[in-house]
Amino acid sequence: MSSKLIDFVHVSKAYGMQTVLDDLNLYIRENEFLTLLGPSGCGKTTTLRILGGFETPDTGKVIFDGKDITNLPPNKRQLNTVFQKYALFTHMTIAENIAFGLKIKNKSRQYIHDKIKYALKLVNLDGYENRMPDSLSGGQQQRIAIARAIVNEPKVLLLDEPLGALDLKLRQDMQYELIRLKNELGITFIYVTHDQEEALTMSDTIVVMNQGYIQQIGTPEKIYNEPENAFVADFIGESNIISATMVKDRLVKILGVPFPCVDEGFGQNTPVDVVIRPEDIDLLKPGEGSIDGVVTHLIFKGVHYEMEVMANNYEWLVHSTDMFPVGTEVSIHVDPYDIQIMKKPESEDEEAVNIEE
Amino acid sequence: MIKKSIQKIYLALIFILLYAPIVTLMVLSFNESRTRAKWGGFTLKWYQELFKNEQIMSAFYTTLLIAFLAAAAATVIGTAASIAIQGMKQRWRTMYMGLTNIPMMNAEIVMGVSLMLLFIALRMTLGFGTILIAHITFNIPYVILSVSPKLRQTSRHTYEAALDLGASPLKAFFKVVFPDIVPGVLSGFMLAFTMSLDDFVITHFTKGPGIDTLSTKIYTEVRKGIKPEIYALSTILFVSVLVLLILVNYSPDGKEEEGEKKKVRKPSRAKVIFLRRIVPAAICILFVFGGIYYAGENQVMNSEKVVVYNWGEYIDPEVLTMFEEETGIDVVYEEFETNEILYPKISSGAIAYDAICPSDYMIQRMMENDLLAEIDFDNIPNIKYIGSQYMEQSRQFDPENKYSVPYCWGTVGILYNKTMVDEPVDSWGILWDEKYRDNILMQDSVRDAFGVALRYLGYSLNSTDLDELTEARDLLIEQKPLVQAYVIDQVRDKMIGNEAAIGVIYSGEAIYTQKENPDLEYVVPKEGSNIWIDSWVIPKNAENKENAEKFINFLCRPDIALMNFEYITYSTPNTKAREMIEDEAIRNSTIAFPDLEKLPELETFQYLGQKADETYGELWNQVKSS
Repeated sequence: MSSKLIDFVHVSKAYGMQTVLDDLNLYIRENEFLTLLGPSGCGKTTTLRILGGFETPDTGKVIFDGKDITNLPPNKRQLNTVFQKYALFTHMTIAENIAFGLKIKNKSRQYIHDKIKYALKLVNLDGYENRMPDSLSGGQQQRIAIARAIVNEPKVLLLDEPLGALDLKLRQDMQYELIRLKNELGITFIYVTHDQEEALTMSDTIVVMNQGYIQQIGTPEKIYNEPENAFVADFIGESNIISATMVKDRLVKILGVPFPCVDEGFGQNTPVDVVIRPEDIDLLKPGEGSIDGVVTHLIFKGVHYEMEVMANNYEWLVHSTDMFPVGTEVSIHVDPYDIQIMKKPESEDEEAVNIEE
Repeated sequence: MIKKSIQKIYLALIFILLYAPIVTLMVLSFNESRTRAKWGGFTLKWYQELFKNEQIMSAFYTTLLIAFLAAAAATVIGTAASIAIQGMKQRWRTMYMGLTNIPMMNAEIVMGVSLMLLFIALRMTLGFGTILIAHITFNIPYVILSVSPKLRQTSRHTYEAALDLGASPLKAFFKVVFPDIVPGVLSGFMLAFTMSLDDFVITHFTKGPGIDTLSTKIYTEVRKGIKPEIYALSTILFVSVLVLLILVNYSPDGKEEEGEKKKVRKPSRAKVIFLRRIVPAAICILFVFGGIYYAGENQVMNSEKVVVYNWGEYIDPEVLTMFEEETGIDVVYEEFETNEILYPKISSGAIAYDAICPSDYMIQRMMENDLLAEIDFDNIPNIKYIGSQYMEQSRQFDPENKYSVPYCWGTVGILYNKTMVDEPVDSWGILWDEKYRDNILMQDSVRDAFGVALRYLGYSLNSTDLDELTEARDLLIEQKPLVQAYVIDQVRDKMIGNEAAIGVIYSGEAIYTQKENPDLEYVVPKEGSNIWIDSWVIPKNAENKENAEKFINFLCRPDIALMNFEYITYSTPNTKAREMIEDEAIRNSTIAFPDLEKLPELETFQYLGQKADETYGELWNQVKSS
C-alpha cells in the first residue's frame, strides 16, 4: 500500500456533555478500502462527517493529501459522500441528479453527457437517464447515489451505511458491486457500517470503534482471528469469551483446567480474557478432551449445527458439522493456536468500553 | 332513513345560514333597481359603473399593489425565518414558533393600534409605506406556518449532498432545498396575498390621508349609504378571495396525493413553463403598467396639495373639484366620524393635515394643547361674508378669533309633533311631563343629555360642580320612565314616522324632518340650550399652510358656501350665502337662521378636562343603569 492520504490528528468532538470522539488518531492510505465498524453511537459516522466537512472537530486536525482541511467547507473538498438515505434530489431526473456536481464545475455538455452514460453503465443502470428517483427501487437509488458521487472523480468516496436500507439479498449483491467499483475506479473508499459481515467481506482495513475510541485497527483476518479485546471479539462474529489466568508462557488455565496455547509475554499467573471461536471447538467422546460436559441446546443452522455445551459451569457455544443431540455427554477440545489471549482492561476507562452494545 | 334526511336538512340549514348573506349581496349586485326591496331585473350596470369609478379603481389597484408587495416581502422574510427556526434546537424552535404565531392569534385591532402607535413613535408619516409594513408584519406568520411543515419534510441529507457535490450553501439551498419547499412557499404567498387583500382593521389604523384599499374604501362608501356599486365590488372581492383560497388549499394537497401514489412523471413541460415564466411575467407586466397608470392618476406626490380632514358627508364633492380646477392645488381628502377620533390623529402628529374641521370644544382642547396654528386672515378676505354674530359665538372657544373660521353651526332643541302636542312648547320641562310617557326621545350621549337637564335646572351646560351634576343626574333618572328610547340618529326617522311626540334634536336635522313631515315643529327652549359650531382650523404641523388658507377662503366664498349648505343642510354662518338661497321658506327659516340675539342664552360645549369627563361618564352610567 502507498502513502498516507488522510490523517486524523488528535481529533476530539463532543455534543454538549456527550463526548463522541476522544483523541482519535487514524490515517488512511491511498487506494484503501477502509471500514469504520462499530455499534451505533460509537463515533464512526461523526468521523466520516468530519472528513466530509459537515462537522468541525473541537480539537485536532484533519490532513488530506498533505493539506490541513479541518476548516474547509464540504463543497471545497475533493471527496464525495454516498449518504445512508441516498439523498437523491427528487425533483430532478436521474440524469440531472448525476450531472449536478458536473454542472456546478461548468463542464461541457458533451462531457457531462458522456459521464452520465459512463456512470450509469458502471452501476448497471443504462437507460435510466430520464426516470425520476421515486420510480426506482432502493438498490437502484443507491446505485444512482453512487454514480452521482463518482462522476466527480473524487480521490476518496465516503459511504455512510449505504446498504443499511436494503434487504439481505440486495445487500450482498451490492457488496460485490462495491468491491468491483472500487477496483475499477482505483480510488479510496471509506465505508461506515455496523454490520460486521459487510466489513469483513469488503474491507482492506477495518477500524473497530466504540464510544469514541478506536478499539482495533487491522485486516479483516486479523480482526477476526486475533481480537485485541473482549469488545472486538464480541462484536466481530460469535465467540466464547472467558475469564482465565495465564499461568506462564504457553499455558493458560481456563475454568480451572490448564490449556496449552501459543501466546507468550503475559507474565506469570496474570488474569486474562480468552477468546475461543465456536467453530474452533472440537467435541470428542467424554474423557478424551480437556473438559467434559453435556449438550444443552441444539439448533440447525444450514452449513453447521449450533450447540451449547454445559461444562465447568460455563455454557460453551460450539459450531460443528457433526450433530450431538441434547443430553449427549461430550468432551471439549481446543487446539493451542485457536486460543486467543487478551489483556484484561486495566483502567476504568477501558472497562467502560467493554462489551456494551 | 329519517335520520339520514334529518342530517341532510341540518347540513342544508347550516349552509343556508353561512351563505345566505353573501348570496343576497351577490344577487343584489345584479339588481336593476336601486332599492333593496324590489327586483328590477338583471343588469350588469353596477359593475360597469364600478369600473368607471376612478376612486374605486385606484383603491383596487392600491389593494393589489399592497397585497402583492406585502405578500412577496413576507414570503421572503417568512421563508428565511422558517429556515432559521428549522435549524434551531427543539426547545428554541418550539418557543420561536409560538412567538411568531402570536401576532396571528392576537386580536386584529390590537395589532392595528399597536402598529399605528409604533409608526407614530417612530415619527413615520402614515401612508402607503406604513400600510405596506403593517401588512408584511401580519403576513409573516402565515408564511412561516405554511413553509415550516414543508421544510420539516425535506431531508437534511439532500442539502448536504448538494454541498458535497460542490454547491455553495446558497446554491445548494436554491437548487435542492427550495424546489422541495416551493409548494409551501407558494401557498404561503397566496395566503399572505389573500389576507392582505381583505384586511380592513389593520389597514384602517395604519393608513394615511388620500390612500384607500378596497376594504377601507368600501367602509367609507358604506358610511355614506350603501350604493349598488358596493354590492358589485363586494361580490368581486368575495369571489377573488374565494378563488385564492381554493388555489391555496388545492395546490399543496394535490401534490401530496400524487406523492403517495408514487409519482413517476415529471410535471409536464408546458405546465412548468407556464408556472415559471408566463405567470410571473404576466404579473410583472400588470404591475408595471398598473404602476404607470397609478402614478398618472395620483400626481399628488409632486405637485401643490392640501390635505383636508373633514366630517363624513360634510362637503359637496363638486366643491373639491372646482377648487382643484381653479387653483391647481390637489386636494387629498380624508374623512373622520367623531371629534374623538380626530384628536389623537392630530395630537400624535402622525399625519400632517393642512385643514381640519373640528367642533367647538375640540378646537378649544387643541388650542390648549398648542396643536393649532394661527390663521393669517390676510389670506382669507372672504371672512367678511361670515356673520359677526357667529364670530362672536366662536369667542366662547377661540377668544380672539385667531384660530378658527366657522363652517357650519346649529342649536339643540325640542322637535315636537303638533298633532300630538297641543300646548305651546317653550320649556325643557315638557320632557318631564307625565302626559307624554313613552312618547319622548332623548339623545343617547352624555353631554347632550346632561346639557338638557343642566339648562332646565338653570345651570351652565359646562358645569363641573358636583352638586349641580348630581342634581341633573337625579332629574334624568326621574325622567327615565317617561322616555321611549335613548337614540341618536333615529330621532329624525322616528319623528318623521310619527312614532314619538317629542324629541331632542339638532337644528340641522330638524330642517330636514320638517320637509318630510310638516306637522313637526322645532323650538329652542327658554332655559337656553347648546349651540355648536364646526370650524376650520389649521394644525400646527401643517405642511401646506398657505394652501389650507386658500382652501378655507374658497369655502367662505358665498357661492361655494351656498353649494355646501344645499348639500349638507346644516346652517351656514355665511350671511351672503344665506341671502342667495332661492327657496324663501328656507332663507327665512327661523330654525336654520334664527336671530341669535332673540334666542335664549346659547352656550357652546367646552372641553372640561379628563377628570370632569370621567365624572360625567360615571353619572351617565348611573342614569342608564338605574
